[in-house]
Amino acid sequence: MEAGNPLLDDFVLGLTGAERPRICFVPTASGDADHYVVRFYRAFAGRADCSHVSLFRRDKGGGAVEGDLLSHLLAQDLIYVGGGSVLSLLGAWRAHGVDTMLRRAWRRGVVLCGLSAGSLCWFAEAVTAFHGPPQRVRGLGLLPYSNCVHFDGEPARRREYRTMVDAGMAPGWGVDDGAALHFVRRELVEAVSSRPRARAHRVEAVGGEVVEVPVPTRFLGAERRTAVAA
Amino acid sequence: MGGGGFTASPGDPALDALVLDLCAVPEPRVLFLPTASGDPREQIAAFHATFGDRCRTTHLSLFRLHGSARPLRDVVLNQDAVYVGGGSLRNMLAIWRAHGLDGVLLEAWERGIVLAGLSAGAMCWFEGGVTMSGGPPEAIEGLGFLPGSLSVHADGEPARLPVWLEAVRAGRLPGGWACDDGVGLVLCGDRLERVVAARPGATALRVDAVGGELVRRRIQPELLGGSDTPPAERVVGDDIREFRALRRERR
Repeated sequence: MEAGNPLLDDFVLGLTGAERPRICFVPTASGDADHYVVRFYRAFAGRADCSHVSLFRRDKGGGAVEGDLLSHLLAQDLIYVGGGSVLSLLGAWRAHGVDTMLRRAWRRGVVLCGLSAGSLCWFAEAVTAFHGPPQRVRGLGLLPYSNCVHFDGEPARRREYRTMVDAGMAPGWGVDDGAALHFVRRELVEAVSSRPRARAHRVEAVGGEVVEVPVPTRFLGAERRTAVAA
Repeated sequence: MGGGGFTASPGDPALDALVLDLCAVPEPRVLFLPTASGDPREQIAAFHATFGDRCRTTHLSLFRLHGSARPLRDVVLNQDAVYVGGGSLRNMLAIWRAHGLDGVLLEAWERGIVLAGLSAGAMCWFEGGVTMSGGPPEAIEGLGFLPGSLSVHADGEPARLPVWLEAVRAGRLPGGWACDDGVGLVLCGDRLERVVAARPGATALRVDAVGGELVRRRIQPELLGGSDTPPAERVVGDDIREFRALRRERR
């Protein structure tokens, strides 16, 4: 849901292989912010069957999924998790058992995606920068690696991530704004981006030293640009 | 508060004024925690508009990432009162625990910072309450700073009360209080000092289970207001004040 840039949204929709995919938006990390839910429907309602989950306004109407949440999530082609605070996200999910539901959806082959907190949550460990210095957080652990987002935009977070990997955090990826990692099961298939310069970076400790290696990142807009030039 | 305060309608300014009086300082520092509703902008704006002219107001968002460089503990312990909004008790407690805020609030309470709130923001301080977070009402454990359990909106949300009574009768929740909208309990340490109401006719109920039977006692609260009610100008929003000032000038 990058403003004016649908490339990553198009990419995740394509992964479902469905003509008109069923997408469920989970905006927990933002406190189910109304404006965010509206943005989701604006971005996807034209080309997908959209729904959203609210853990804060469940009894208040507002069009969110009611009743059996597990069955609803398992019936989706794509679950899209919004950004915000990953700590608040994980806390609220655990209180409602949403973590277990998402694990089941993943095993069943539902495509899971998200940005920022909605990316960090899938990994075993992540770096969050919220109320004070960046800290280590345990995520759902579907992907047994670590993740750090806004890698290009927040130098303090990038530095801290290297320090954490040095101190024994699982190796993983730092990801720039506009870049995304595509996993099938636990394997990284490729890194893609909606901005020509955005990259993913492999971060791991090798021989007692943290190394940061850029991952080849495919710009999703290349073909379109060629077409315009032609 | 069993309901009421600036986020409710009517706003019960007498209850909000009482929270400030308990701080016993001229211009108290008051922190608003809107976690239970997911930090909605309107609620945060209403807080600053209601308290901004007589307090140093701060709000703490656990969802929005911007402008939150100060550690939580510093923010919370640097207050005279913490005012917790209503919403989902289950979500709020889980999120506080994820951020370690439960421990920080205990420290704040032990230091004598006034802890206040309505609905979920009132039940959280007790051993237990009744949440509607999942739809139908369910008994849930609270932070347990205060002994007993609390049920809220006893008059406004009738579905909650029977669930609470049954949980107390069955021993799943300790005995405690059910408060109508507009009723407040004032506890000092873990002792109940006052039961107050901002609305005539609103009451509180003390309930205990004795040998599997419920013993109920209706408490007639002390009615706040009269000469103690703050003048209306003190609780109106910034926009209304500005409008009134403009109108005065035009005359």
